[in-house]
Amino acid sequence: MSAPAAAPLPADQPALLLRWRLPLLAAVLATLPWIAPSQALAVNILIYGLYATGFNLLFGYTGLLSFGHAAFLGAGAYGTGIALARLGIGWFGAIAIGVAASGVLAVLIGALSIRSRGIYFSMVTLALAQLVYYIAFQADDWTGGENGLRGLTVSRLRVGPFALDFLNPVVKYYVIFGFVVAALWALSRVLNAPFGAAIEAIRENEGRALACGFDVRRMKLVAFALSGLVCGLAGALDALHLSIVPIDTLYYQTSGLAVMMALLGGAGTFLGPFIGAAIFLLIEDTFSLWTSHWQLFVGAIFILAVLFLPRGVWGSLIAWHQGRRA
Amino acid sequence: MTAETILAAEGLGKRYGGFVALADVSVAFARGRLTAIIGPNGAGKSTFFALLSGAAAPSSGRIRFDGADIAGQAQFRFARLGIARSYQITSLFPQLTAHENVRLACQAVDAAARGGLWRSRAHYPALAEAADATLALVGLLDRRSRPAARLAHGEQRALEIAVALAGRPKLLLLDEPTAGMSPEETKEMMDLIARLAAERTVLLVEHKMKMVMGLADQIVVLHHGRLLASGAPDDIRAHPEVRRVYLGEGRSGRG
Amino acid sequence: MQLDLIAVQLFTGVALGAVFVLLSIGLSVIFGMLGVVNFAHGAFYMTGAYAGVFCLAVTGNFWFALAAVPLLIGALGLGVERFLIRPLYGRGPDYPLLLTFGLGYVLVEAVRILFGTDGMPFDTPSLLAGGIDIEGLGYFPAYRLFVIAVTALILLLLWLLLERTRYGLIIRAGARDPEILSILGLDIARVWLLVFGLGTGLAALAGLLAAPMRSVNPEMGVAVLVEAFVVTVIGGMGSLLGGAIAGLLVGIVVSLTALWMPQMSTISMFALMTLVLLIRPQGLFGRGLSR
Repeated sequence: MSAPAAAPLPADQPALLLRWRLPLLAAVLATLPWIAPSQALAVNILIYGLYATGFNLLFGYTGLLSFGHAAFLGAGAYGTGIALARLGIGWFGAIAIGVAASGVLAVLIGALSIRSRGIYFSMVTLALAQLVYYIAFQADDWTGGENGLRGLTVSRLRVGPFALDFLNPVVKYYVIFGFVVAALWALSRVLNAPFGAAIEAIRENEGRALACGFDVRRMKLVAFALSGLVCGLAGALDALHLSIVPIDTLYYQTSGLAVMMALLGGAGTFLGPFIGAAIFLLIEDTFSLWTSHWQLFVGAIFILAVLFLPRGVWGSLIAWHQGRRA
Repeated sequence: MTAETILAAEGLGKRYGGFVALADVSVAFARGRLTAIIGPNGAGKSTFFALLSGAAAPSSGRIRFDGADIAGQAQFRFARLGIARSYQITSLFPQLTAHENVRLACQAVDAAARGGLWRSRAHYPALAEAADATLALVGLLDRRSRPAARLAHGEQRALEIAVALAGRPKLLLLDEPTAGMSPEETKEMMDLIARLAAERTVLLVEHKMKMVMGLADQIVVLHHGRLLASGAPDDIRAHPEVRRVYLGEGRSGRG
Repeated sequence: MQLDLIAVQLFTGVALGAVFVLLSIGLSVIFGMLGVVNFAHGAFYMTGAYAGVFCLAVTGNFWFALAAVPLLIGALGLGVERFLIRPLYGRGPDYPLLLTFGLGYVLVEAVRILFGTDGMPFDTPSLLAGGIDIEGLGYFPAYRLFVIAVTALILLLLWLLLERTRYGLIIRAGARDPEILSILGLDIARVWLLVFGLGTGLAALAGLLAAPMRSVNPEMGVAVLVEAFVVTVIGGMGSLLGGAIAGLLVGIVVSLTALWMPQMSTISMFALMTLVLLIRPQGLFGRGLSR
């Protein structure tokens, strides 16, 4: 029998929320530079929120706990970075290359890892992502190896006859914001479409979904690919934002980041990953001011969340609302 | 039997390693009839059911559905061809509403809607309507917005049937639908099955022989993984070997 | 390629494999019994190495450390199971996994606070510092022989425990069907507690044994966690024999690749895992895919 899904999703979210989730999120993100304690934090919430959202498509909605999503963030970042720094391709083409690279990698890793079911899946995704890390580490002619990929500073974005000053933090924020909102819009459509319903069925009960007539394997693979595309875009934007791709982007802890953010905010909810990303980055921001061992607190808070708030902050709010209505 | 055959097992067998769960079973099921598969525990009923529903691939033999051999095809293809199954142990989408459970089953066999990535679910109103109609059929329409996990046990059993029914299957396979039910719930379920069977082809696996005698048009008896007898209830009742191996056990056991 | 080089490298591979065997068996026992994938397994391994560093600093006696470290970290494991993992049973397999992932974070950071972020030296115990020189075959460090011997001994003890004792019978029955134990009136909770302690103790022992061969630093657990997963996927989850054979296999493959293509040595084990996944997704000795 298929194991119970990790994320206890509040069934049947309020219809009002379903309709307004995207505009709501876009509005909050649009005002973020003025709310967040720092500009850098705001950009990170955008990028890592998108990353966690891409991960959530697989974990929260499809019920597959991947521990290898760093590979997709990294593929997006390195793909974009290599296109810019090594191949001299324009910024937009570079983003497209990064996203495509991540999508291809997601299909490869997905095809291998969904052969193993249940609990194996997490181990296999982690191992395959670590393989990608080692390969990037070795291929230093292309990736810069241990030192990371450098030399991809983009100062002006050409859009037709116009040129945007990407060194201006406000311009930079809203360019990235534009990409993030576009991706969220697309993802929201996919989740509202029959496919979104089908992957939730797979999460809830894989065997029954199969018996009903869903080609479970193919749908998991498609979910994997879409998840990879979204995370790849996050990686591409991160590369543009940082002007460098650190090798740590591909590391185990980066995979764990997505897991923590999605769970803290609320896996299987649309807004949860962004809320989780904001919480995580705020904790990091606050604690790292007075100790270099801030990860101790992050780890402890995560353990407490697993024990006492398994639906995450946003998921619990929705569940509480449901409980009051019922 | 003069009725047209919808499904036929031809020399069907299944081995798990060295263990023979089912051997050389050949039997034809008539369209529009209710057939019951009975047999004591370990007779191979579950294996037979798994093969007919596509959950497991046979080691030998053929399964003919509407004339075509479908043995060895993926389980989801069975569903798409029109063979739907229910589960002995309730197997639903627990956190989704009753309506969504049934709607998903409709979606799964609708080639146009099934994996649609872009257009909203709202663009396929026929699925939602079909789902509500099916819920009404099993008497669950007033529970449509409740998560499956929060339904009463009897209601979950009814939803279990509704999910199987949803895709308008040509053949409905029911796996011990009254397992674990109280006598009242059992009565209701048997009435529901009788109603369903009036206009569908139903294949029912059942442990309790008495229960199916008054209901089924045809009875198939399995014993030790082999076909023991097949025929009308009266023939089965009179069948000497069935009396010897099954009724004898049944009387002292749970029959 | 000379025979002696291959022989030495093969030997190194077996010693490395011995560490993998201990790790993957700990992982496998915990999974087989509790259904928990322990993502803190690498952190327990790392903690074992550091506990060894601490024991050596206090007593200066490697043999004392060898006895004390598995017990100490095993006891830590008991506490973790009792207070952190037990509340999560029945909530699906992902939650204990997530919890142990967070625990790994905490353990690594705690070690960084206590011992600093830099690596630490760990000398080979003086008694085992030498080696055996076999004419025509090469030089074999005594410590590696010792690691192989300890692992073989542990495997034998585990086998005896599982096959020849009442406890082993309970563990095997429980791994197949936990309900059996409650039907028999046995306290499953206590068995699970002890099994988790056993698994973490084995991880700590692996860490201690590996310390003189590989570097000791707070991050040493991450790479090893992945390696243990690779071994477990290759061998098949829940199989003692599979873990042992796959561990040795991976150790040997890594070492031999290092001989011919040094830059591919870390990658080779993943290639092996990929191959196994393609041909036999349940692992070489796995019992099937369900679970």
